[in-house]
Amino acid sequence: MTLRTYIITRILLTIPMVLLLLTAVFVIVRVLPGDPVLLHFEKRADPEVIEEFRHKLGLDKPLWEQYADYLSGLIRLDFGKSMQDFSPVSQQIFSAFPATLELTIFSMIVAVGLGIFLGVEAARSYNTPKDHLIRIFGTVNYAIPVFFLGIIFQMVFGIMLGWLPTGGRTYPGMEPHGAHLTIPGIGTIHLATGLYTIDSILEGNPLKLVQALRYLCLPSLTLGLVLSGIFIRLTRNNMLETLRMDFVTAAKARGLRERAVIYGYALKNSFLPVLTMMGLQFATLLSGAVLTETTFSWPGLGRYIYTRIGFRDYTAIQGAVAFFAILVALVSLIVDVLYAYLDPRIRL
Amino acid sequence: MNSKAIGKMAIVGIIIIIVLIAALAAYLSMRYQAPTESVLIMGTTDKVEVNLDPAEAYDYFGWQIIQATGCGLVDIRPGSSAGPEDIIPSLATDWSVSDDGLVWTFHLRQGVKFEDGTEFNATHVKYTFDRGIGLAVEEGPFVGIGIGEIIKEVRVVDKYTVQFELNFPFAPFLSLLAAQCCYIVNPKYAPMSSTVNYVEGDARASYPMDLGPYKLTKWVRVGGLDQEMVLEANPNYWNASGGYPKTKKIIIKFYSDPTSLRLAIESGEIDIAFRHLSAADINSLRENPNLKVWEGTGAFIQYLVFQTKMYPLNITEVRRAIAAAIDRSLLTETVFQGQMTPLYSMIPNGMAGHIDAFKVLGDANYTYTREVLAKYGYSETNKLHLDLWYETSGHYPQSPDQAQAIKQALEASGVIEVTLHGLEWAQYRAQRVEETMQLMIYGWYPDYVDPDNYAYPFFHSSGSSWLHHNYENAEMDALIEEARSTTNPETRIELYRQIQELMVEDCPIVPLFQGTAYAVTKPDIKGVYLDITQSWRHWLVYRESS
Repeated sequence: MTLRTYIITRILLTIPMVLLLLTAVFVIVRVLPGDPVLLHFEKRADPEVIEEFRHKLGLDKPLWEQYADYLSGLIRLDFGKSMQDFSPVSQQIFSAFPATLELTIFSMIVAVGLGIFLGVEAARSYNTPKDHLIRIFGTVNYAIPVFFLGIIFQMVFGIMLGWLPTGGRTYPGMEPHGAHLTIPGIGTIHLATGLYTIDSILEGNPLKLVQALRYLCLPSLTLGLVLSGIFIRLTRNNMLETLRMDFVTAAKARGLRERAVIYGYALKNSFLPVLTMMGLQFATLLSGAVLTETTFSWPGLGRYIYTRIGFRDYTAIQGAVAFFAILVALVSLIVDVLYAYLDPRIRL
Repeated sequence: MNSKAIGKMAIVGIIIIIVLIAALAAYLSMRYQAPTESVLIMGTTDKVEVNLDPAEAYDYFGWQIIQATGCGLVDIRPGSSAGPEDIIPSLATDWSVSDDGLVWTFHLRQGVKFEDGTEFNATHVKYTFDRGIGLAVEEGPFVGIGIGEIIKEVRVVDKYTVQFELNFPFAPFLSLLAAQCCYIVNPKYAPMSSTVNYVEGDARASYPMDLGPYKLTKWVRVGGLDQEMVLEANPNYWNASGGYPKTKKIIIKFYSDPTSLRLAIESGEIDIAFRHLSAADINSLRENPNLKVWEGTGAFIQYLVFQTKMYPLNITEVRRAIAAAIDRSLLTETVFQGQMTPLYSMIPNGMAGHIDAFKVLGDANYTYTREVLAKYGYSETNKLHLDLWYETSGHYPQSPDQAQAIKQALEASGVIEVTLHGLEWAQYRAQRVEETMQLMIYGWYPDYVDPDNYAYPFFHSSGSSWLHHNYENAEMDALIEEARSTTNPETRIELYRQIQELMVEDCPIVPLFQGTAYAVTKPDIKGVYLDITQSWRHWLVYRESS
């Protein structure tokens, strides 16, 4: 199979997968007891008004018709309007997503950085107290509930030490606005990513950057630590295998320094499974974001879904889950393609 | 020195410089604080549910922002019990009512300006009410309270005089006008044919008020969730010359849960934490010398509803016997650690007309419970089985614990057995409409501060249809109708006494407790009034040093 055929097959396989998930979400939100219409009417229940409202939301249509509307909307990238506040769901998703993306990126950096470093250290000190300690650390991290770790961090770094803020994305009034670029002939372009760290750099405001980083610290550390467990374990196991290989012995025999052998040679060879795991963990990271965002009042997609479930806001839940699904499918597609490119045996 | 060594030194040098810059920036940003004297930061777990349009907003927090940015014809005196004598002038300076109680005439304050310099006058009042009634937003307050049914017509008599003609005499009319849904809108921002919704990046276009102590200058919503709001003093506010608002700028930060809010006030990130902190958090924050806990009467009540169409709850005596077994102190002292007040009437404590009507039945009055239930064949060997339902979404404070305490009290009678059923809020509401819950725990925040709003929606046959408890009593209907149409305060109080006695006699609903309003602030914050209106009056709050 050529790489091109592989990619096409892989994309074709992604479509039914995403479709299946979208259908599942559509069914699940409707099977859940509770009615978005009734949730609107706290203090009165005039049946006619309720029916009218149901009609307005399109919930009086037969299920298959609602399903068809939903899918045809998705094809046009139209997620519909929220049943709670009637604003376009896509707009809400896009306004919340940068916060989640920023948290995800920084958490991934923490998880992978810490995971690889500790995994390598454990492998180097195989079966010593240091190795055991790192393994225990990894297991505890993996087992600890993310909201619990979050609260502990808030207590220690926010209250007791007073170093870091306990919630929110930045200090009030310190939101970066990005940069305004004037291009001759085109005009002024507003350059903003929604990622506060990037935007404050674009704006050239170090004070805002530091604030953004301070607010990022605890949530990304929490989520990153919880995820680091799996990377510690993976790196350690792979490194142990690689360190036993002939080329490592050869490199050592040539008199290379241990650090160079481990990080320059052995780690490079154990990195492929870690890369795959990064792709797989992306989904876990997004789901972990739901709890982390709630704990740290982080205004991202996770908190959005959490709140909308409470309202039975069908369109918002469907839209956000569809967005997540497409994102995860896309990331795993990229990882697979990258993997196939790096290791041609996959395509066989 | 070879070039490699120079390269290494350069890298080290760059790293040192970066670290130094980062350290300096970190130091500066940690020291960065908004100018403290004229700015207050408030934290809350509340949110604006729909928008800030008085014609549509029908939620606690939305009304709070409407109150901060808008103005009504009348207001309620801070710290009062919201009786008739506590209605104070705001945009109207004085008023009168015709003898038949049908025509109210208001004289308006002169010289009050909208943002663009237009002078506020009687046409704006007419516009506001015609718009609210005309829009008739299904889930909004005009329909919910039935303002369109109460008001027949709003007439402009002259530039500074406006008249309301009512369809029937409505005693709580002034209290209703003090409610935020009756705040005056600026026609420039409030179109007659549609409501005003959140506009991303444009706070001014996101709310239709203009005459209040503050202007909303910033409103950030991410994914439909409120993140931050900024209120800045309105120089055109009619009472600006009186020194209001006392704090020129208020920043409101939104937190996802009570724990985050508690951590924020404890770490000093915010000056005020208002709604909602848990009972345990409030008690532990009392011990903190760097914080002050404010406490006040709350208008929130919690009660137990009987499904009166289900046997044996269709028997009044059985309902009374169950009500007598309830132990309110178990709820307020054990579940809420003394932070709620036992409630013996649906009309809350601190409100004109309240009497402790349910004290007749007593608390944990098991002798009475056993005696009555024995008549219907229930005994220790043949217990009355009850299903008690409660919500589990945190819509009301500590509902599962409340349910457990009620179960414990009822079962202590020895003749009742209770099965608990927790439901997530969306399911809970659906079940209420299905009328399948024998006993359910429910709560209420008032629309306007008057006994009528605690009687009509619960005991009047048409007013209480939303509750689906199937209670009807023509005598009760007549009493409530008379009480809401009588303007004489003494007569009203007497009528509410009778209504409260009848609510115990018929017992379709049992009052449990009344919420206490709490706010936690830094110790130098002053001007906090937590009264029966439940309102947070931003314009009165200030930091002492200023």
